[in-house]
Amino acid sequence: MSALDRQLRPIYDALDMGSHKSAVVSCNKLIKRYPNNLLLKALKSLGLVRSQKIEEALPLLEEVLAAKTTDDATLTALMHVLRLLGRNQDIVSMFENAYKQQPQNEDLGVQTFFAYARTGNWKVAQQIATRMHKQFQEDRYLYWSVVGALLQANDLATPPEMRTLLYKLAHRQVASSPSPSYLSAERFYLHLSILQELQLYDEANKLLESEIGKSICSTSLPCNYLRRQIWRARGLYKEEAERAKDLILEKNDRNWLEFLSIIDAAFPPKESGQEPVTDAIPETRDFFNKIAETDGVKDRSGLLALIELEHRARVAGGTSDITVLKALLQKYFVLHSEKACCFEDLKPYLDLSDADRDEWTTFLDSQRSTLESATDLRCLINVHKLQRFSLPASKLTAELESGRAASYIRDYKEGLRLGLELPETELQLADDLAILAGQALVNAWYLSKEQAYLLQAVALLEFTLSKSKVAYSVRLMLIRLYRLLGAPTLALNHYRALNIKHVQNDTLSHFALSRATTFSLASTGDITYSSECLETSQVYLSNSNETSEFITRAFHGERYSQIPNFIEFEERLENSLQRDLVKMEHVRMRMIHEPIVSDLIDMEFIELKIILDRYHFDNRDFDIMPNYQPNGQPSFEVQTRLFGRNAGLGWLRVYLKMFIRAFQHASDLDDATEDKLLIGDRPKKSSDPENQLPLVERLNKRNLEEESELTEQELKLFEWALTLADWLEPYHNVARPPPTVDGQKTSNGETGSSARKDDAPPVRSTPDLVVRFFDDVQSEFEASVGRDCLPSELLHIVTIIQEAVTLLVAETVRFKSTSVVKIHKLSQLVQSLKEVRTKACVSLKETSESLVKSGENYGTADSRKAFVDACSPIIDDDLVHHDFVLNIAKNVCDSRKKTLEGVGKGGLKISSAYDKA
Amino acid sequence: MSVIRPMQATDMLKFNNINLDVWTETYGINFYLAYLSRWPDLCCVQESPSGRMMGYVMGKAEGLSTEWHGHVTALSVAPEYRRMGLSRALMSRLEHVSDEMYKGFFVDLYVRCTNSVAIEMYEGFGYSVYRRVREYYGNLGIGKGGRDEEDAFDMRKPLSRDPMRRSVRLNGRDVLVSAQEVS
Repeated sequence: MSALDRQLRPIYDALDMGSHKSAVVSCNKLIKRYPNNLLLKALKSLGLVRSQKIEEALPLLEEVLAAKTTDDATLTALMHVLRLLGRNQDIVSMFENAYKQQPQNEDLGVQTFFAYARTGNWKVAQQIATRMHKQFQEDRYLYWSVVGALLQANDLATPPEMRTLLYKLAHRQVASSPSPSYLSAERFYLHLSILQELQLYDEANKLLESEIGKSICSTSLPCNYLRRQIWRARGLYKEEAERAKDLILEKNDRNWLEFLSIIDAAFPPKESGQEPVTDAIPETRDFFNKIAETDGVKDRSGLLALIELEHRARVAGGTSDITVLKALLQKYFVLHSEKACCFEDLKPYLDLSDADRDEWTTFLDSQRSTLESATDLRCLINVHKLQRFSLPASKLTAELESGRAASYIRDYKEGLRLGLELPETELQLADDLAILAGQALVNAWYLSKEQAYLLQAVALLEFTLSKSKVAYSVRLMLIRLYRLLGAPTLALNHYRALNIKHVQNDTLSHFALSRATTFSLASTGDITYSSECLETSQVYLSNSNETSEFITRAFHGERYSQIPNFIEFEERLENSLQRDLVKMEHVRMRMIHEPIVSDLIDMEFIELKIILDRYHFDNRDFDIMPNYQPNGQPSFEVQTRLFGRNAGLGWLRVYLKMFIRAFQHASDLDDATEDKLLIGDRPKKSSDPENQLPLVERLNKRNLEEESELTEQELKLFEWALTLADWLEPYHNVARPPPTVDGQKTSNGETGSSARKDDAPPVRSTPDLVVRFFDDVQSEFEASVGRDCLPSELLHIVTIIQEAVTLLVAETVRFKSTSVVKIHKLSQLVQSLKEVRTKACVSLKETSESLVKSGENYGTADSRKAFVDACSPIIDDDLVHHDFVLNIAKNVCDSRKKTLEGVGKGGLKISSAYDKA
Repeated sequence: MSVIRPMQATDMLKFNNINLDVWTETYGINFYLAYLSRWPDLCCVQESPSGRMMGYVMGKAEGLSTEWHGHVTALSVAPEYRRMGLSRALMSRLEHVSDEMYKGFFVDLYVRCTNSVAIEMYEGFGYSVYRRVREYYGNLGIGKGGRDEEDAFDMRKPLSRDPMRRSVRLNGRDVLVSAQEVS
């Protein structure tokens, strides 16, 4: 080991341990001694980038890159730097260059392949792998090339005829392999998937029928899955069913897919074009009957398969007698009602006629028994769930629902006795009864808009949680209810108690952060929600830094079956809708927290434009919310959405357009400067044809479907913002400084700008809507205060007015400069704008004052008493005690007071800040 | 009864009903990807007929010579699907692959000494305590259950390659080792 090598060790250790600064210090010392050492410079730039000193790192990085080194250690260090900066294209050219210089270096070949893989350029990656296979004669490179071809074929941008060609290429390559594919299950899988795509079923069959092929399919689930697909594609439903029967009888296999295979043989799926095989039905029925009889309570498959068979027969054309299905449903309930999933199992089969439904409900009634054991309790819960599911619309009134809640609560009280001995880490057996009651109460509110029901639900669910501390679904329900009730701090407490980590931030953060600006106190300096937004977004950084590493590992380890799904996972997180919804909320909060100056405007302008180009994936998990609402009613999740609207992709796109337009007006950025500000690669635009239109056109395009996700007030805000922007656009266009040329601003008076000055349009008077909006929304607010509305609705209106004020500030920031006004003769415009601003600020001031007052009201004993009184129907000295409810009342009232006062005071602060400005 | 299928990366986007559980840890995405990129055949999922995830098992293959074995890293079933024999099916899948594909000598797993429900369940599946590992869960400190809370049992079940059952022993509960010795 050389002296330098020894000195390098501590630098690597420091980088590994996260002591980036000390790594930089050590590098500096050594660079003095070895001023031309590229590795030291690369490591130093890595240390700098990791300590966020990007500007310092860039010149160093460029210097090392320019040297075009082939040294392994230096390249690796550079790769880490470039990856952190998101410059994957530079990684590609760096390795490509090095590999060109040393074509015998296998390692460089591998790195170049991975560099292309990371950018999704499978075409070149495939070519490199082919070359490497020829050169280094290693089989796995041939398979890398095959995977490259398949991934290229699966790319949406690849035309269909090219797709077939690529599969044919992959087929030739596998056939040319010196060793057969069945030596590894993963290679075998690749081979099969090619044959499947090319419909080379005979060849596939030969592989599958071989001894080794059979053996692979018996242990490898992915291979067996392909086998099943291939058999089905060949129409071999009967053969597949025989195989499934063997597995079920001989291997005791109870994989539901095997049962479905048998049913498919009698009722082939529509896409097969095959007719139902009526002869096969009795025999199939016998088979399942036998299994159901042998298994009894032990396994549900046989009986459930019988139900599925009858159901399909009915759907296919009424060959089945409804009494058979009814009898089976009853039998299923009798045998399996003590299993928690009984309700979920039967739900798909309960599309019964009125008379049949009544009969079913009566049967369920007869199944209730006294609560002596956990089994009785689970059975009773299933009775309730199934009966509730089948409730006809005529029996859904607030009073009836409230009565049902009372009966669920009675059973809950009794059921709790059975779980007294359970440790705190266990769920209470009776939890579902309280959840049912909570859902009935929320449905009562949904039907009547009577808030007392929501308060009862909150008190009951809080009680449930006090008895069953790890009942996460109860927390999820409470989060939704507290947001509706304008008590967001309590919602956030429950959200945090869920202990959401890593990838769950993507799927579950919508519970806390959807339209979170409504509750944010950022205007008063409280950045709780802004920080929550940033923390939640960490997972996207780990995705872009780490996931591609595992794609390369899967190549190394030849785990080919995983690669497409790794790529899908990476893309779904990278382009996650929730990611950008959170980003949008964060921008909205920045606008009320920070001064609206070019730093904020330019940065967010660039980022929001990138988001507008994305194709989004919605990974938000809504199914996690329990739902026991009657069939035909909106689910609990839908009923408890804030303002009754789901802020999804449509909402995001409207907000993006609104903010981008305002920022575009406010910003002096031109394309050249923008490119310099952008650190990493520009993300690939999605192939959506709308993305090909010029930005201005896209921003002005309206889309009713998108707008349907907005609340009434949001839609008004959007229309107001559009009118304002249309009005001001011509003046922005003349007053904006001309684009920079080679980074130098052209001096005023030369070239374009003087010509534009002449074009300054005459000032148009203020469009009516720009002022009327504030009157409109303010009177809505006053009407809402008068009527008994949810506090969240009041918060919504005030925060929308507040948003209008901040957007107005952004739209008019350019006209603050007296010289701009003078040069372009805009003083009349400025006068009109002043009037609008005064109007906006007064509106915000008055509504905020009223909000503060409402907040104060929640601090009184009367308000707590009103809460407790509203809960009287569920107060029970032996269950939900009066004092318990009083405590909840206090918490809710405190949280409401804090939020309403806080948002109100923040609104006052903003109105006075911008009124004076 | 359920659908058994291979686990895949995108399952991370839908496993909340299993992972919102006091005993189930949600790891960083690199944890799941590391397993899937090396031992995809030892990671599988059970799904209900309606397509909801019910439970999953994740494992790996490790060890030298006669210590070469399958290891159960995570096994979790959503609360609403417990007590239905799902764990048995997931475990026997992992044992089957450890035996047939990896040719391991045994399968092992770690369990908190206090978790008597789980220990009993694994005994029912044919596992027995091989040794007690001190302070395996030490980062939690000594909880209500005293030493039992932070110590783990290393439980093993021999596979067909170990017909003489050399990988297990009768007095495993009395054999103490430190956490450093096993990791």
